[in-house]
Amino acid sequence: MVWLSGGMFAIACLMIVSLLAFVLWQGLWTLWPRTYSIYGRKDGTLVGGELYAKASLEGQDTLYLRTGNYDVSNQHFAYVSSSELVEQSGWLAPDLWLVERKEWGNLYGFPKQLSWSQADPEDFVRVVHEGMRQTAKIDRELGEAKNELKRIDQHIAEARLGIRRVELAEKIDLQRAAETGSLEGLSPSARDAVSNLGLRNRQADETMVEINDRIAGLEAQRAERTVVFELPILDPLGTITADWADLRAGRLRDPTGLAELLGAAKDSSGLSFSAEPMGDGGLSEPGVEDQRLVCKVTIPGEPTRRLMIRRLEDGRVSVEAFREHSILLADMVRFFPTNRLGIFQRLGVYASRWWEFLSGDPREAGMEGGFFPAIWGTVVMTIVMSLAVMPFGVLAALYMREYAKSGWLLSVIRISINNLAGVPSIVYGVFGLSFFCYIVGGYIDGGPIKAGFEPWPSAAWFSALGGLAIVGLIAFAVSIFSGQAEARRSPLRTVLSWSAGLLWLLTLGLIVWLLVKSPHFHGFYEAQLPNPTFGKGCLLWAALTLSLLTLPVVIVATEEALSAVPNSLREGSYACGAGKWQTIHRIVLPYARPGIITGFILAMARGAGEVAPMMLVGAIPLATELPLDGEFPFLHGSRSFMHLGFQIYSLGFQSQNSEAAKPMVFTATLLLLSIVTVLNQTAIWLRASLRKRFQSSQF
Amino acid sequence: MNRLKAIADGQTFESVIHQEVLDRDPVVSIRDFSLFYNRKQALYNITMPVAKGMVTALVGPSGCGKSTLLRSVNRMNDLIESVRIEGDMVLNGESIFAPSVDVIALRKRMGMVFQKPNPFPMSIFENVVYPLRIDGERDKTILMQVCEQSLRGAALWEEVKDRLSESGLSLSGGQQQRLCIARAIASDPEVLLLDEPCSALDPIATGKIEDLIDRLRGEYSILIVTHNMQQASRISDHTAFMYLGRLVEMAETSTIFTRPRLSETEDYVTGRFG
Ligand SMILES: Nc1ncnc2c1ncn2[C@@H]1O[C@H](COP(=O)(O)OP(=O)(O)OP(=O)(O)O)[C@@H](O)[C@H]1O
Ligand SMILES: [Mg+2]
Repeated sequence: MVWLSGGMFAIACLMIVSLLAFVLWQGLWTLWPRTYSIYGRKDGTLVGGELYAKASLEGQDTLYLRTGNYDVSNQHFAYVSSSELVEQSGWLAPDLWLVERKEWGNLYGFPKQLSWSQADPEDFVRVVHEGMRQTAKIDRELGEAKNELKRIDQHIAEARLGIRRVELAEKIDLQRAAETGSLEGLSPSARDAVSNLGLRNRQADETMVEINDRIAGLEAQRAERTVVFELPILDPLGTITADWADLRAGRLRDPTGLAELLGAAKDSSGLSFSAEPMGDGGLSEPGVEDQRLVCKVTIPGEPTRRLMIRRLEDGRVSVEAFREHSILLADMVRFFPTNRLGIFQRLGVYASRWWEFLSGDPREAGMEGGFFPAIWGTVVMTIVMSLAVMPFGVLAALYMREYAKSGWLLSVIRISINNLAGVPSIVYGVFGLSFFCYIVGGYIDGGPIKAGFEPWPSAAWFSALGGLAIVGLIAFAVSIFSGQAEARRSPLRTVLSWSAGLLWLLTLGLIVWLLVKSPHFHGFYEAQLPNPTFGKGCLLWAALTLSLLTLPVVIVATEEALSAVPNSLREGSYACGAGKWQTIHRIVLPYARPGIITGFILAMARGAGEVAPMMLVGAIPLATELPLDGEFPFLHGSRSFMHLGFQIYSLGFQSQNSEAAKPMVFTATLLLLSIVTVLNQTAIWLRASLRKRFQSSQF
Repeated sequence: MNRLKAIADGQTFESVIHQEVLDRDPVVSIRDFSLFYNRKQALYNITMPVAKGMVTALVGPSGCGKSTLLRSVNRMNDLIESVRIEGDMVLNGESIFAPSVDVIALRKRMGMVFQKPNPFPMSIFENVVYPLRIDGERDKTILMQVCEQSLRGAALWEEVKDRLSESGLSLSGGQQQRLCIARAIASDPEVLLLDEPCSALDPIATGKIEDLIDRLRGEYSILIVTHNMQQASRISDHTAFMYLGRLVEMAETSTIFTRPRLSETEDYVTGRFG
């Protein structure tokens, strides 16, 4: 038995440890800058990539390479079997750059020419850095200009909304008036709305041209600066006659043939030539390096070109060019000669990538760049959720533990709450969507009709309102009376307090019913319809759904904390003449606080990691606006948001190129795991330290 | 012995209260008081006075209802749902169980100390002034004054005067119990109820508490439950012997211990049964 249980224990430990190690390794490794090797294939083409994984099967290796250059090769990653390759260890070209771009992912290539500078290739790094600083300024100005445009659009949209509001309020059609701008026969508010729209339109007409010009100018400036790269993709140029031994030694006896191929026949005299074998030679198959040379050719007045020369029979060689590809300097985010970095430079790149990951916006539909909006969305949503769940959970537990008389009803409620904790989270998602989003949200947007209720006629509604007032008064009277009934625990008093409770419930139900059936309420956002404001998944509903989901956790933890308060303390307080509430708030709650906070943090951890309901009630893969920002009213409850857990799901399984997104998925997983772990650890630590504080020195 | 047997058989029984006790001015007088836990009766028609300015000890075998009686005086039993009472008690001429009585105000007129020290999880200072705090007292000088007075009264001042802001839980068991006494006398109560205050303490701490009770005599009226006959004889002026929810005999302590009127009392206090 001891072996069986011990073995199971070991297996459980192993599974947990391997899960953690896997996520940790994958997550940490993804952002590390790797070297880029170029391999020759036996069919004469080249394939280059960062080596992500290597699998061996029956003596054959399969390499999993991140090839980059998606805009040219149409792939991010490639599987390459070692039997296709000429040599098994690739060529770590020293002057190859890795360029991270705003679009199209990474580019790997040799920088050849800068459109705005005649600098020497040795100076490229410095010059490009300088250039990037300037284009960053252009991009900032461009962003500002686009923001101005957005603001103008917003103003016009608001003015339109104003007209729509007047239309709804006065039941008139302002379509014509808005088009023609004529104010005849309109009420003052309609006149205001129409003239406001006219004003906004005129303002837009005036400034729009200027802004658009500015944007066009900036775009042009932005497009001016390009960098030409030579990618490790070969295009045949032709064949020439040359002596192989000469070429190997870096000499070219008769350059005219080559110059002709390069389209510079007139002046072949100044052509300079150098050649080197591709790869390291030593590890390659014997003789391979003698079939192929990479050479650099410079014709005066033109940038140096990189060519591949291959030995053919009868003294001829074939010449192939590395494909040229030009990109905008403004699209470059980061670049470095990836094969030449020292360990500290590599660490620097690693740190800066992590920084971008944590604080930057996503690029390439989230496959590159940062996760900041997702992190921010998760944090804001979790905080709103805690604010919602804390008072509810704590007060409910307080009532159940301190006020309610224990009985079968309380036990049933307690058991139901415990069971609630086991309900699959997607169920909460469905509930949130159908109740919060469609019913409550629809009600807020467009009143009872939008929420799917048939309003009553006005007269019936008002008589029901009168009924409500009467029931409310009776409930009030009964509860006052039952509070004053003298005899302790007399049957009369029991009956009275029960009926008071029932009457209050009835009152509450009536209030809800009246709200739902009101013919006089048309929603707060009627003018925006049919575009939903709150009638869709958004931050507020997501937070409320999650607070429902975490409510049992908070209630159970709080109840536990309350029942751990020694009764002797309560008695001591009562004996001092303290009332119930005084005892609770001066003795019971402070003593139970660590337990309550612990439950609370556990609820946050549970909520932060929950994905299934998020998919239904408001998380989206790419949000342009943050749910909490510097714009009034700062917290935007009606906005959809990005969520870390949902991001993992959508990147890994929903994006067009989930293969390419896989590394990012691991990094995001690591992040989510660390957030949840940190929260849980805080809870454990808090519990331990506060418990020590309270129970340290009993004797 | 046959009287106790009669009690156990449920026959009616007339308590013996010596005249010297009845002659004293009572702070609390218990009048024909009975108490039921659900249907189970725990106290039977108890009538007895608690003399003003004196220490009255309640003794009796375990489960005879001493704690129940003590907790009835400040109506702590109200907190137990199943409790029902008959009869009344009077505190300085005012009824304790009359329907119009404000229980909270009533409890403020008494101090209570429990078997196990129960300092609140707050500083020593806050522990002592808790009764004032719940009355909304904010004035620092008054609070400080009361704190010092009560701690001096509880013979704890010298030991804790430099660490008033430390947690009450950082004290030793005996100190904690004296802290609870200080808390109980902070509101200057008319009667002090002590339920076996020394049973969780070692002999030295017990001695200190006994000295303290001796010093409080005269200033406060004290009703104390104890299991320890020596303790009762050492510290109390009057002693009441209870058995199975009934008061058997009550007299001056010296009388109870030397020449009680009932042989059963003598048997109990000399340890021949119980
Ligand atoms: N909360 C309660 N519910 C029901 N019965 C109770 C309750 N508290 C005490 N009793 C019963 O009332 C009787 C008297 O109990 P009480 O605690 O007053 O005895 P005691 O004299 O203080 O005993 P001890 O010396 O052991 O403290 C006992 O039979 C006990 O079982
Ligand atoms: Mg007791």
